[in-house]
Amino acid sequence: MRAGAAPADTPLALIANDRGRQIIRAVNEAALAEGIVPGLALADARARLPGLRALPHDPAADTACLDWLAQGATRWSPMVAARPPHGFVIDISGCAHLLGGEASLVADIVTRLHRLGFSVQPALAATPAAALALARFGVERTAHLPLAALSDLEPVQIGLRRAGLRCVGDLARLPRAAVASRFGEALLAALDALTEAAAQPLDPLQPAAEVMAEQRFASPIVQHDAVRAVLERLLLRCGAQLGARGQGGRHFALALYRSDGHVAQLAVDTAEPQRDARAVLRLFDERIAALNDPLDPGFGYDLVRLAVPITAPLDESQLGLDGGALAETQLSELVDRLTARLGRGRLRRLEHADTHIPEQASFLGSLADCPPPGATARDCPAAAWPSLVPGEPPARPIRLFDPPQPIEVLAEVPDGPPRRFRWRGRVHDVAAHEGPERIAAQWWQRKDGAGLTRDYWRVEDATGRRFWLFRHGLYERETAAPGWYLHGLFA
Amino acid sequence: MGLLAPGFAELAAATHYSFLRGASSPAAMVQTAAALGHAGIGIADINTLAGVVRAHVAVRDLAEAAKEAGREPPRFKLAVGARLVFIDGTPDVIAYPATRTGWGRLTRLLTLGNRRAEKGDCHLSLPDLIDHADGLLLIMLPPGSSQHSKLAALAHACPGRLWQGASMGHGGNDRRQLAALAAQAQACGVPLLALNAPLYAAPQQRPLHDVITCIRHGCTLDTAGTRLAANAERHLKSAAELARLFRDVPQALAEPARLLARIDFNLDQLRYDYPDEPVPAGYSPQGWLETLTQQKARERWPDGIPPKMAALLAEEFRIIARAGYAPYFLTVHDIVAFAQGRGILCQGRGSAANSAVCFVLGITAVDPAEHNLLFSRFISEERKEPPDIDVDFEHERREEVMQWIYERYGRERAAIAATVIHYRPRSAVREVGKVLGLSEDLTSRLSSTVWGSYASQMERERFAETGIDPDNPAIARLGRLVSEIMGMPRHLSQHVGGFVLTQTRLDELVPIHNAAMPDRTFIEWDKDDIDALGLMKVDVLALGMLSCIRRAFDFIETRLGQAWSLDSVPGDTPRGGTADVYHMLQRADSVGVFQVESRAQMNMLPRLKPAEFYDLVIQVAIVRPGPIQGDMVHPYLRRRQGREAVHLPAPGPPHDPDELKIVLGKTLGVPLFQEQAMKLAITAAGFTPAEANRLRRSMATFRSVGGMDYFEEKLVGGMTARGYDLDFARRCFNQIKGFGSYGFPESHAIAFARLVWVSAWLKCRYPAVFAAALLNAQPMGFYAPAQIVRDAAEHGVQVLPVDVNHSAWDCTLEGAGEQVGGRHDAGLALRLGLRQISGFREEWAQRIAAARPVRSLEDLGRAGLPARGLKLLADADACASLGLNRRDAGWQALRTPVDSLPLFAAADASDLGVEAAADLPLMAPGEEVAADYQVLRLSLRGHPLALLRRFLPETRTSAQFQATKNGRRATVAGVVLVRQRPGGGNAIFITLEDETGVVNVVVWARLFERYRRAIMASRLMQVDGEVQRSPEGVMHLMATRITDMSAVLDRLSDAHDATPPLARASEDLVHGPSNRKPPPPKPANRAGHPRDVRVIPKSRDFH
Repeated sequence: MRAGAAPADTPLALIANDRGRQIIRAVNEAALAEGIVPGLALADARARLPGLRALPHDPAADTACLDWLAQGATRWSPMVAARPPHGFVIDISGCAHLLGGEASLVADIVTRLHRLGFSVQPALAATPAAALALARFGVERTAHLPLAALSDLEPVQIGLRRAGLRCVGDLARLPRAAVASRFGEALLAALDALTEAAAQPLDPLQPAAEVMAEQRFASPIVQHDAVRAVLERLLLRCGAQLGARGQGGRHFALALYRSDGHVAQLAVDTAEPQRDARAVLRLFDERIAALNDPLDPGFGYDLVRLAVPITAPLDESQLGLDGGALAETQLSELVDRLTARLGRGRLRRLEHADTHIPEQASFLGSLADCPPPGATARDCPAAAWPSLVPGEPPARPIRLFDPPQPIEVLAEVPDGPPRRFRWRGRVHDVAAHEGPERIAAQWWQRKDGAGLTRDYWRVEDATGRRFWLFRHGLYERETAAPGWYLHGLFA
Repeated sequence: MGLLAPGFAELAAATHYSFLRGASSPAAMVQTAAALGHAGIGIADINTLAGVVRAHVAVRDLAEAAKEAGREPPRFKLAVGARLVFIDGTPDVIAYPATRTGWGRLTRLLTLGNRRAEKGDCHLSLPDLIDHADGLLLIMLPPGSSQHSKLAALAHACPGRLWQGASMGHGGNDRRQLAALAAQAQACGVPLLALNAPLYAAPQQRPLHDVITCIRHGCTLDTAGTRLAANAERHLKSAAELARLFRDVPQALAEPARLLARIDFNLDQLRYDYPDEPVPAGYSPQGWLETLTQQKARERWPDGIPPKMAALLAEEFRIIARAGYAPYFLTVHDIVAFAQGRGILCQGRGSAANSAVCFVLGITAVDPAEHNLLFSRFISEERKEPPDIDVDFEHERREEVMQWIYERYGRERAAIAATVIHYRPRSAVREVGKVLGLSEDLTSRLSSTVWGSYASQMERERFAETGIDPDNPAIARLGRLVSEIMGMPRHLSQHVGGFVLTQTRLDELVPIHNAAMPDRTFIEWDKDDIDALGLMKVDVLALGMLSCIRRAFDFIETRLGQAWSLDSVPGDTPRGGTADVYHMLQRADSVGVFQVESRAQMNMLPRLKPAEFYDLVIQVAIVRPGPIQGDMVHPYLRRRQGREAVHLPAPGPPHDPDELKIVLGKTLGVPLFQEQAMKLAITAAGFTPAEANRLRRSMATFRSVGGMDYFEEKLVGGMTARGYDLDFARRCFNQIKGFGSYGFPESHAIAFARLVWVSAWLKCRYPAVFAAALLNAQPMGFYAPAQIVRDAAEHGVQVLPVDVNHSAWDCTLEGAGEQVGGRHDAGLALRLGLRQISGFREEWAQRIAAARPVRSLEDLGRAGLPARGLKLLADADACASLGLNRRDAGWQALRTPVDSLPLFAAADASDLGVEAAADLPLMAPGEEVAADYQVLRLSLRGHPLALLRRFLPETRTSAQFQATKNGRRATVAGVVLVRQRPGGGNAIFITLEDETGVVNVVVWARLFERYRRAIMASRLMQVDGEVQRSPEGVMHLMATRITDMSAVLDRLSDAHDATPPLARASEDLVHGPSNRKPPPPKPANRAGHPRDVRVIPKSRDFH
């Protein structure tokens, strides 16, 4: 969801294709108020609310957004797990006191997420499963949870409801054997997961690093120098921890928590284990300098954390640097280095576009931007260059005049070859010609839905110079007086 | 320059039957070529002959039009053939049959390629062509430069019959390529032939061609790139332009004429031979038809054929003999006799079906002598078209008939006709929109107006209705392209049941394709093509009502010992002593009766008050788009009710003022049937029979082809010129337009009326039998089982619940029947069958039957019933005879092991340990009803509204509403059964059902916007309004306020969805008329509570 997609008070639905039908996957508050709910076919929804806006549902973006939120939630505890599609879980064991107790921690979470424009349903519970269920169904006690909290399987839910059971508490009262023989162990396991008895461990977003240091600020820091100073202090503290273990770090991850929820992440890798604060700081300096977008502190960072998740004994031998043959990857490494130095998108090469229109057939494409998997042709118009037919002269010049140069031409009507033309004051007599290659305009890109057709000729003048000319417009069919242009020179 | 090739003809013209490659119709190609002064045209589509008949007809029409205009018919020769595309790298070859033999070779070649490929594909290689090249003239198409060997091989195999085609495509090096091609052709001794291989008639069609190219590639215009043609040169060009392009090889310009001159084949040479199976040796077809008919007549009337019938037969024999139609009647009889021998009910309909011959042969049950139907009215002697008989069979057993036809005539002599699937507004908008890069959201909004429209044209208002500016350039472009693509064929499919049978090999007449269904083949010509060439087609159709009637006859025979058949059901005449049946219909008491059970028909019944058979014929035909659009319904009703004098529209002098008496006399001067419209054109507008024939043909295609203006001018102009009232003339034309979309001829209405009669008679006299038969024949008709059961109960039928020990798969009848009053099956109770349980399987029902008596659920488990079956039985509350209520049965069923351990089974001991009682809460009545609806889609316990009435204060029941006086205000509430907006009109009709019946609500369109959400979303609706009672007692509630009360339904139960499904075929507003499948039941968990609903966060940029 991008800003500006729709005003908040416009009913909006996200839709996805389901066996040829467009089904609503999510709605905003305004749509919900009109009775539009997920699961409804778009056609039905439109029948009720013709003004409903619909955008394609992008589950990947949802997941990415959730990950982004979960990333931000590591400010409260390093143990955070995203639980798509709707939630994330924070293990606050031993963290609550830092923010003055559970209540104020929850208040802080809600406030921050509200500020980001999310509606939040928080819940505190002894186990992750219970917390998620309480939050999802908005009830206070696990016993009051609806049975849907235990199983997504419709037959199980129907079976439970048919038996007259309404909530988790009803089920918990039944003999376990009677439940297991009807609904299987999985249901009991789900029931147990709600109680501390069989809490499932959290699989956190990022494994907690053993070596870690962080600093919180009552008033956020903004200045680059201040950040650098904090980083140096954290490096020193981590260095001390590493020293105590007889180890050095191979990967240093810096997380800068912005007060508005965003987390900037920077990491450096070292070829050899390292715990010298100054050396690592130099790497961070280079890294920061090479950033395409400089670090934007916004309203400032209120938490800075440095973690060293990958470590190795410091006495490990160095990697061999004995030269050898150039690896195939060297071009890509060069590209990487130049890109790091010059910035993304600065390194270009000529690409071929699949079109009949000569001046659109090539364009400068970014060398670093390999098309991501699943990219459509529209995202990435590059196509393979056409191969030359052996024995055929090149059909088109390599470079084209932009714009094509108007010329005066003597030619047969309606579509005969040029006999003589004047370009930059000089008259050229056409000695040989071939053509025409007829290329019509892209009518769909033009207001009038038509446009003029070009007839291209390859011509050679009396002195042996070769030109690429075109007549602009078909005589009589499109225009009464077609113009002529020189579009390029053959080498 | 000025080098005009004498008699140039384009010999590689593709049409839109080269699906998504050609952009013009065969007719447009023919007309344009003729207008350019070409000597002829060769139509050759990719591996198909599907378009050639259209081209043939277009050439015929050109000649006819010239003749009518008093001009010399143009000298224009049509070559019909195919462009063969190979899978072995051979360049495309165009093949034109020079002789009838060549045609047969070509159709067999294509059949060979079709039959070995998947549906819609054709796999051919060069050796196949060489094997089938007799009598074919061939043109190899460029590029052929690298295919010297293929050209040489073909030249060697077909000496003197091969040309090398050459085209100038403006690719930049055309002349060098032409020189190379010429050299190569010369080396092989093959003459060069100039062509342009056009894909459309005129260069203006390039955008359309680009669009279909994108549809074919599944891309947009912006991304299509070089997959689109670089220019607009693939159109039909003038001879002068080709002369200029081919100035290097002028001899190539003369070759088309030379090739054309060698073609001695024309589609008119395809002579049709009837199969001779139905005629025993030693008889002529006519002789055998007369013998057989006389023999059957003597069986029917052992005491002597009534003189009126004998006279009719003699007259018909004379007509049939003169037209040579005897084999056709015999073939239909052959099929019908097979079905009757198998006990499959069937009935013929169509122009020839209402003949005395068909009645005597048992093809139809309508006695023409009784109803004064004249065969000659239905057969036009000047039209050289075969008579038309469609035969309806029981829908469940039609496949038997079809397989028998294949068996009897052989696959090489019998196949189903094709149906050409055209672009319709919806598909056109969707696909063109996609090509233009419009979002799917936008196109779906454009293509589906909320009413699930069946409008025929994409109109401006419809764009505007969706809140989109039709003048927006992108939308305007879409609109233009959509109107161009509409009516273009998309692909061929098989016709629903039109069989073509021949004496000789069918694959030497027309190519045959594999159908999507296994064991089905179809030819690539459709109904119109078959008509145009005078081939014979028998429609073998499926009709659900025949299944229902057969089941009812079976019940009556087994339970009551009376034997009935379609033609023995008595008295559809006023003197038949069947006034009770007509009274029932006049009361609109017609749930389940064939054709007259819809709301619209129920509204019409009390107005029309049918009192004799022909009234039923009119009743069937009058509630149709034709009469409605022609505004003929109300004049007819007024005249019938005596409120308006019957007067025949009359022409001015000197014409006979009574000229329309024969045409319109029977319908009180108001044209209602398709045939009347046709005869009106001839009699009143001065159409020649040939013109009327063209009008009839274009009626079927008005939607796609246009041509309306011409006929409108001709008909309205013709009628007013003869002194008819302009308004009447306009209405006649509108009606013809209406028939165009949903034509309903009298000849079909008559056959249907007989089934209306039989089903009404069954419903009236045998209500229990009829309800059981109707339930067992589901899905069919207009109503869901809930309404059928309820209707039966209201007619005094005792309905018994589904029970594991008493129910069979089908619904059955229990008890002994007796005649009490008008009811002939009193004493029979209807036992619901296991088929009413949604999701239950017939094979499970058989296992249950084998395991009876059933004492416990475990018995069923041991009998092999899977867990799902047990659960369904429990949920359906079908275990009462086991002493289990729904909840306890459900709890047990969850536990009963299915794959019972063999050891325990052998010991016949319970293999489940004893378990402490779970002590489950009792089910509330509301929950029971809700569960009934969910599992059975009906409840014998009561209507949900009876339980919910206390939550709906101030509402009247349907029964109270029916007793309300005209003009009073009333508030009703009910479950929404039907929402309709006929023809996108001014009124929306809603049918509500409650515990006492139904209420029909009318909402004017102006109220719709205000209450749109409630109208569209309500499952339970409350309506305030004014009562309107017509003089005939038809009641409507004219809505003033509508409230969505669906939330009240949730009070029944939070565990079950108690919504009865919408009535089938109810033209639900959203999904359009759905006569295919009933909608799947909605899942039980509607995300009801807002907390369960995913809410999109307010948008904000995350950066």
